[in-house]
Formats: sequence, structure tokens, C-alpha cells
Amino acid sequence: MSRDANPHAMAPSKPGRTRTAPPQLPDRFPFGGRYLAYTLFDLTGILYVLLGLMVLCATWALGSGAASWSSLLERHRSVVYIAFHAVALIGVIFVGVRFFGFFPKAQPPRVGPLKPPPGPVILAALYAVWIGVAALLCGVLAGGILR
Amino acid sequence: MSDALQKKTFVITRFDPDQDDAPRKQSYEIPVRSDWKVLDALNFIKDEVDATLSHRWSCRMAVCGSCGMMVNGEPRLTCKEPLDQYGSTVAIAPLANFPVVRDLVVEAEAFMEKLTHVKPWIIRAKERAVEEGPLRQSPAELEEFKQFSMCINCMLCYAACPVVANEPEFLGPAAIALGHRYNLDSRDEGAAERNELFRGEGTVFSCSFANECSEVCPKHVDPAAAVNQAKFNAAIDWATRLVLPRGGDE
Repeated sequence: MSRDANPHAMAPSKPGRTRTAPPQLPDRFPFGGRYLAYTLFDLTGILYVLLGLMVLCATWALGSGAASWSSLLERHRSVVYIAFHAVALIGVIFVGVRFFGFFPKAQPPRVGPLKPPPGPVILAALYAVWIGVAALLCGVLAGGILR
Repeated sequence: MSDALQKKTFVITRFDPDQDDAPRKQSYEIPVRSDWKVLDALNFIKDEVDATLSHRWSCRMAVCGSCGMMVNGEPRLTCKEPLDQYGSTVAIAPLANFPVVRDLVVEAEAFMEKLTHVKPWIIRAKERAVEEGPLRQSPAELEEFKQFSMCINCMLCYAACPVVANEPEFLGPAAIALGHRYNLDSRDEGAAERNELFRGEGTVFSCSFANECSEVCPKHVDPAAAVNQAKFNAAIDWATRLVLPRGGDE
């Protein structure tokens, strides 16, 4: 069954003489068909908020001394934290793949005299940078770089 | 092509502003031919079963953009949709996100208002005298905006867009694509005016790139690309003005 959209959606600036029925949302919004990917994409914002809070907590623990930092690391070994990070990783990969997929067509055909490279080149560059930055961060976190 | 008749049931959303408090469903079981489009079935119902049914249509060849409706929950041009791709029951409703005037007819006035907002005409800093001849354009220059000029104003993109459903002031995919089409036109000098508009409330930056508009566009205009290219251009235009407030003329 359809649900009501915003009652003013696509309403003319001056009401017509005929009474109208209120606008309805598309039947499949927000979790059906293609809308599911869009809704999940937007819901990953919750993951980023939680990750941001975790970074703040980690920074606080780091500034509170070695014991506090060790305690934080211990907490991060729990199943809940590991599961959360697994979900966050899936979320980040999903957002990256979706965003990169749309990015080439969002480039204007030219900016002044400059033309963007072909879509596949943009896409390849985005993935190369992503993989490169991820590898660099993994290296830093594993202690292999900037030790 | 077979002329064999089979029966299909059409569940149509009806609304009579003089009698109904809210839209209701009405079913019609009719014989259909295998080569029919969805619109043919609606016309059969209107002509042979129930003359009170109201729906818009005109060209029957996906050019006029009049016959857009929700077919099994998807915005579709009914004259372009082969009926044989649907099962024994087909649900037809008016376009989502629009007020309904009657049955399958939606209120299109707001759509027309939004189109005019983007100044969809060629703007020249100084009008060209007739003696100077026409403004010439190369095929390459035409190619830059041609895709975005193929819109038939069928409003399917508005029916699919989740932002249109929730932000009444949002200009919407077709209007922004139209404005962007003129911004890309080599004969036009009004990009600064339109970019100013695009940086305002309820325009390009309200788009959350659901890409639904492009998914449902029957003419492959790709309005989502236009809207997001317009974001890019509006931002570059803003940055350029910040650095070169007089446009680098002096």
C-alpha cells in the first residue's frame, strides 16, 4: 500500500480549482527494488557517526595514559567490536563501489578548455588511489611503515 | 506476432474529486492481445468497459510524454511498455509524488513552474542583430548537450525521485537537466545566472544521487548525470568568482 509523500510535493504555487488527492510515495520506497541500495547507502552514515565516536574515544584513551590505551585495545578484542568493524568495512566498500560507479558521469564534459579523461580511466584512477591509500594505512597500522 | 487473446486483470487507482475522499482501487478483467502496450489496455477499458476512466495520452510513440503512470509500482510510459512482459495482474496508478486530479491524471502545474525557473532559453549578453547571421555551432559543441536536450517532459523522473517526495521546493531532475543543457550550449551566455540559481536552496545540492531518475528515464537522458555535473559547474563557478571577482577582465 502506498504511503503519503510530503503533502506539498509537486503542489502548484497557486492551488487549482479542483480538489486533488495527496501525492503518494513510490510503492517500493524505501526498502524495495533499487531504492534498497540507495537507502542502505544513506544508512551507512550511522556507521560513520559511530566510527567517529570510536576515534574520539581512542584519542581520549591515548591522551589518558598507557593503562587507558591498553584497556581500550582489550575492549576492541571483543566480538561486538570485531563484528562492528566487519560491518563498517562492508559499508565502506559498498559506499566506495557505489560512489565510484556514479563518479565518472558526474564530471562535466569540459571545464573551460579542459576535458575530463574517459570514464574508465577515472574509475581506474579512483580504485588505484583507494587501494594505494588502503595499503599505505595497512602498512602503517601493521608497523611496517613509519615505525 | 500472435493475435491470440488472453485475459488480464488491471487494478487501477481511481479518484473522483467530487465523490471520493481518497483514491481507491478498481479491477477490470479484459481480453488483451499479445502485441498490446499497457496504454492499449487502458484505452480498451475506457472505450469498451468504463467510459468514466480518465488518463492522459496523445502520440502513442514515446514522444509526447503524456502517458506516464506507475505500472506495477514503476514509473513507465504506458505507450512504450509491452503488456506481455507483465503477469496476469497489472497495477496501474497515477505518477507518484504528484497530487492527483482524477484517476490517473496528475497535477502538472508545479512541474511547468519548475521548468521555467531554470530559464530554459538561450540567454545572450547582447542580442545579435539579424544581419549578423545565425549563431553557428559545430557538431562537437552540439554533442556536449544533445543528450540532455532529448527530454520529453514525461515527469517519470519526478515520480521516481525520493528528494522530490520529501522536499517540495526541490527543482527536480528534468528542470535541472534542462538548465544544465542550456549551460552547456555554446550559443548561451546565461550560465552565470543559472549557476547562481543552482547554488540556492532546493536545487542541485539537494540531490542525493539516488540515480532513480536516470533508471526510469525512457529517453536515456540521464538526468542524474546532468544534476551532478551542474553541481560541479556551480561549485567551480563559485570558486572562480571568489578568486576572480571581475571575471579576470581587468
